[in-house]
Amino acid sequence: MGRYLLRRLASAVVTLWLLATIVFLIVNVIPGDVGRRVLGPFALKEDVARFNHQIGTDRPLINQYFTSIRRLFTLDFGDSYQTQGAVSKIIFPALFRSGKLALLAFVITIPISIAAGIFAARRQDKVADRVVVNTGLATSSIPEFVTAAVLMSIFCVHWKLGHVFANPPVGTSVFGQLPYLITPALAMVIAYFGYIARMSRAGVIQGLQSDYARTASMKGLSSGQVMRRHILRNALAPTITVISVQVGYLFGGIIGVEKVFNYAGLGSTMLSAVVSKDVPVLQGAVLLVGIVYMVSTLLADVLIAFLNPRVRLEKSR
Amino acid sequence: MDYRLFDSVRRQASPVEVDLVESYARGRISRRAFVSRGTMLGLGAPLIGAILAACGSDSDGTTGGTTAPGGTVAAGAIKQGGTLRIAAQKPAGPLDPVAMADLGTYTPVVTAFEYLVDILGADVQPMLAETWKPNADGSVWTFGLRKGVKWHDGSPFTAADVVATMDRLAGSNLKAYIDAGSAKALDDFTVEITLKSPDGQFPQQVGAYNPQSVITPKDFELGTTLDQRKTGTGAFKLTTYDPATGATFEANADWWGGKPFLDKLEFIFSDDIATQISGLQGGAADAIVQFSVVGGDALLADDSIVVETIRGSAHRQIWMNCREGDFTDVRVRQAVALGLDRQALIDTVLKGRGDIGNDHPISPIYPFFDATQPQRERDVEKAKQLLSDAGKAGLKATMAFPKLQEIPQLAQLVQSQLKDIGMEVTLLQEAVVDGEEWCKVYDSTVEPAGCDGGMDFGIVDYGPRGVPDVYLVKAYATGEWNSAHYISEPFRTAVKQYQSSLDLDGQKAAIKEIQKIANEDVPYAIPYFYNTLIAHTQSVTGIVATGLGHFYCGKAGFTS
Repeated sequence: MGRYLLRRLASAVVTLWLLATIVFLIVNVIPGDVGRRVLGPFALKEDVARFNHQIGTDRPLINQYFTSIRRLFTLDFGDSYQTQGAVSKIIFPALFRSGKLALLAFVITIPISIAAGIFAARRQDKVADRVVVNTGLATSSIPEFVTAAVLMSIFCVHWKLGHVFANPPVGTSVFGQLPYLITPALAMVIAYFGYIARMSRAGVIQGLQSDYARTASMKGLSSGQVMRRHILRNALAPTITVISVQVGYLFGGIIGVEKVFNYAGLGSTMLSAVVSKDVPVLQGAVLLVGIVYMVSTLLADVLIAFLNPRVRLEKSR
Repeated sequence: MDYRLFDSVRRQASPVEVDLVESYARGRISRRAFVSRGTMLGLGAPLIGAILAACGSDSDGTTGGTTAPGGTVAAGAIKQGGTLRIAAQKPAGPLDPVAMADLGTYTPVVTAFEYLVDILGADVQPMLAETWKPNADGSVWTFGLRKGVKWHDGSPFTAADVVATMDRLAGSNLKAYIDAGSAKALDDFTVEITLKSPDGQFPQQVGAYNPQSVITPKDFELGTTLDQRKTGTGAFKLTTYDPATGATFEANADWWGGKPFLDKLEFIFSDDIATQISGLQGGAADAIVQFSVVGGDALLADDSIVVETIRGSAHRQIWMNCREGDFTDVRVRQAVALGLDRQALIDTVLKGRGDIGNDHPISPIYPFFDATQPQRERDVEKAKQLLSDAGKAGLKATMAFPKLQEIPQLAQLVQSQLKDIGMEVTLLQEAVVDGEEWCKVYDSTVEPAGCDGGMDFGIVDYGPRGVPDVYLVKAYATGEWNSAHYISEPFRTAVKQYQSSLDLDGQKAAIKEIQKIANEDVPYAIPYFYNTLIAHTQSVTGIVATGLGHFYCGKAGFTS
């Protein structure tokens, strides 16, 4: 297990370096001048030149690249071009905010969608199954930002039940933050319900048709016991894999929802950084999302190994 | 007419002030122009009032520049207390009063800090300075400061703060006007500022339309930001600031303007105007700092929301390269200008919320605006004839423009209107029109010194200004924003004459010439001056906004 973890960590470092390089290249392909973008169209030319010199964007690209890579490996993300404050002071609060939203979305999505998957699997090809499958398909095929905009206009603008601006004011208690976060979290729940429900349904159907389930039933276990002790443990492995991939996506990929609800999470931070060519912030944010992806997939692997002894045994061999 | 009053003014006032009073008394300038120019020169409100009363009224009905302070509700109807939640643009940079460069940053900074003078449209009003007066040629200005003003930490505001601020600005924002050491404290509440060259409109440089000129404490070092040192003299004190989400301010009970009605301001930062609008409609915000007609339809049609219009000088310039390419012949440029149906553009793109343009950057809100100049009307046949005479019938051109507010719609309409005169315009939309397309190179050896290269044809945005100097100098005469590559000695001479004039008559004469030359040469077609819009709920009143990020709430509150 130790060697396995070391191998995973080594590949993580290479992946992060690749990520940082790709981000650097992409950002520098975007046309336009960083100083002009940050200071705006009415800034004086000399101010723009001074700004570019100050942040080093007038240096050769290769020098800028090595500086940014060196910073990444020393975990010094540098200063934001735009706010001129430390990047870590921007991306870590953003990560924390995205984490809150993602956590709330997961707390709602996972039990509902797994329960829906089991419910549908046990009624395979009946009306209830069709309803779950088709609802899941429909909701997951609507882009998150559309769902977010519709939810906002219904719940927040028309009925005034939620908050249009999802950032809770500074000092709001944990429970006080719920009304702010619930509508964007719902938009994410609607988007991910379908994936997870379908995956758990497929796993459970496979489990229900398996020999071990039949054997367990024949030795006298109740259907509930068979489901809990045997089917779910096997059926959840692919579901957990899907969830772990979605964790990374939820942290960095929910730009649409964050944008609609003006939520200052990692996604909207990345979007702002792209627009303003704020390379240090963009690199730091992408790197964080990369780390979240890696940690979540690693945790998923460990969790699957814990749930399924066969995986544990394979790995130890 | 009260001649005794005029005699008294003549004895006490400077020649410039006497000229102004006489111009008004003889009916050569309007009441509006008199008030505007009088406040600029530092004539006190009582004297202006007495002169107006002596001469009777001739209101020309022109208003503009800011929203009305106090709104339409009597002060007594405003209740004490409450938090005003304001949706505002996210700051693009640190809250550095000297280095700030965007509207999002201006808003929180100017909520805490104040100027020497307040500028409402073209009117100059007291703020931290109660009086100001030029010497005979406008090269030395003396400001009498307000007494009893305190910084947010309780320390007194004095002339030393103004002198230190001016010294800081001498190296940056005001370096064209003053050197370090140009400002001197004559006593604790009097500051004398000696300019590099005479300027009859210097108070404009230490007011709202030069946002970086806010007065900071004497020991406020360059590079310090408001959130690092929470101070100011304004009606509200900064309490919390998060550049990603928002800022909160609490009322300054010691404010020189009196204790504010509101307890607290809460700025909610958002870069997305659609979200800001939803926030206002959904009750998550009480006001929006600024929005445009495009994308703001939902608010304009919402009876529960009050939309206030700020007339101003902000405009769009359709530049045409006068040095090389297809637009060097003035007839081609005139044809483009004649091909525009300006009123249709205003009605369609701005939903009627703008003033018609006449291909010069002088807005009707300026006191020296020459209203007698004939308006250029659409004339398709004449335009076609001009194009044909210039050998450019069926001209094909590519027009660059930024994806900003109403400009994409404007570009489409211009394209369709110019089709009628036989021009085939290809649209090239950019995220922003800044360096490459607009002004490729800054090269002082090329005439005009400044902007060089870039596209031959395009649209660029200009924000509001209290005086048109930036437009005239930077875009038309010698500056680095001259994307039309326009050279005209008569124009430059007229601009110099305007800038050196201390009296309104001189300025009017120069501006008349400027309007005429710009209109005839058309380096830039200017279809309209657009209004800036602010919005708030029906229960809010008393907000004063400028269209340049200022959102003064010292006298604002909720109606009871």
